[in-house]
Amino acid sequence: MIASMESQEFLGTSCGFTINPEEDFPEFGDLLDIIDFDDLLGVAGDVLPDLEMDPEILARDFSDHMKASSAITSEKTDSQGETKNKGISGRGKEVVSKRDHNETPVVETVVNYNGDSDCKRKHSSSGSTKNKNNEGKRKVKKVDWTPELHRRFVEAVDQLGLEKAVPSRILELMGVHCLTRHNVASHLQKYRSHQKHLLAREAEAVNWTRKRPIYGLDSTGANINGRNKNGWLAPTPTIGFPPPPPTAVASPPVHHHHFRPLHVWGHPTVNQSVIPHVFPKHLPPPFWVSDTPYWPRIHNGTAPYLPTLATGFRALPVAGIPQAMPPHHTVYKPDHGYGGSRSLVDLHPSKESVDAAIGDVLTRPWLPLPLGLKPPAVDGVMTELHRHGVSEVPPTAPCA
Amino acid sequence: MADSSSASYIHMVHHMIEKCLIFNMSKEECVEALYKHANITPVITSTVWKELEKENKEFFKAYEERQSKQEQMSEEETNQLIQKIISDSSKESDD
Repeated sequence: MIASMESQEFLGTSCGFTINPEEDFPEFGDLLDIIDFDDLLGVAGDVLPDLEMDPEILARDFSDHMKASSAITSEKTDSQGETKNKGISGRGKEVVSKRDHNETPVVETVVNYNGDSDCKRKHSSSGSTKNKNNEGKRKVKKVDWTPELHRRFVEAVDQLGLEKAVPSRILELMGVHCLTRHNVASHLQKYRSHQKHLLAREAEAVNWTRKRPIYGLDSTGANINGRNKNGWLAPTPTIGFPPPPPTAVASPPVHHHHFRPLHVWGHPTVNQSVIPHVFPKHLPPPFWVSDTPYWPRIHNGTAPYLPTLATGFRALPVAGIPQAMPPHHTVYKPDHGYGGSRSLVDLHPSKESVDAAIGDVLTRPWLPLPLGLKPPAVDGVMTELHRHGVSEVPPTAPCA
Repeated sequence: MADSSSASYIHMVHHMIEKCLIFNMSKEECVEALYKHANITPVITSTVWKELEKENKEFFKAYEERQSKQEQMSEEETNQLIQKIISDSSKESDD
């Protein structure tokens, strides 16, 4: 019980209420499990590993939680530091700890929080022991970095400057209470390495563009910034209209690319509306998807964002970068967008880009799915194919 | 029939279709592209596409909408742009 004792003391000092083991926890073997890490850590959220948090909700819920928990705290102190685990005697309201307890026979009832609003923690209603895994095995709760959350993070980092961006300050700036410094710290680490990654790519890209002047393009400041801020997760459409066409039309091929970049990947809303839908959260997909739409748009002779692919060296294996996106230059199709057949903003990919993309799948099948759609049922496909007279997949007969 | 090779083949086709989706291609375009570039039987592509559609109804619904919207929108945008340019240039000439 030593560990428990220590924990209790710790609890006692840091949180302002005490636990009396004899009185309150006669049955509890393992106090570690009972310790309310929320109070310890002072956060309202991140309680459960499979939490999906919307920071807005968190912020909102947190205030609810605070009200609730202060109610609890006062109750606790009222009853001499009985913790919420002891659902007994003299208390009109029994407080449940925010997580379940494995071994306790004590009844836990749900406190009347406003509908479990606090950071979506799941309250068990009666001493169920289902959530073993969030008992203190994980002091750091898994945070779901939504695009919104990440955006705030990036804003904070930008304000501080990447060098000065320390987790505690970032946390302050973000103003999201449900994040721990640890969450921020690990996210920051990833972000930094991602940035380095980007920079490395850009640096390479610059070299390529130098050699291929015809693919030099202007990039708008907006794009670059957009890239910085949003390139990691779902990008916002920083690409607006292309610069005024008349000059572009009259000028040499270079300018044609103004239009190209606009919609290489189709309507910008693709990235927002479609991709976030389909992206399973457990994948690190935004990395790939969001990068790619910007690749073609953001390069010029000097701009840093040109991916190596963009200049047509599509066979170039850039380590770690899925050559998911086709080279930019291949997207250039002079007959499109000017002939007036299609608009400036919806341009078909060229054959080379498509070929590159498809070839990529053939040569590197281990690459992650760019969209991460739910895969089709194999049985369903096979049945359907049989109906159409295809008996073998892959077909050994020559393609009809 | 070797199930695992079918499964992996289907997965590959799925992957390719996703690439095409990123290009905003229609189903027909996709079928053609896969056939041309990877020699995938059109019926296979189209079947996998349909099954994908079943599994990801929302996505494809949005995708379709976007596709049809683009047809209109793009023309509008073009027109707007041209209008703007004309008005801009006429302003300049007024000065």
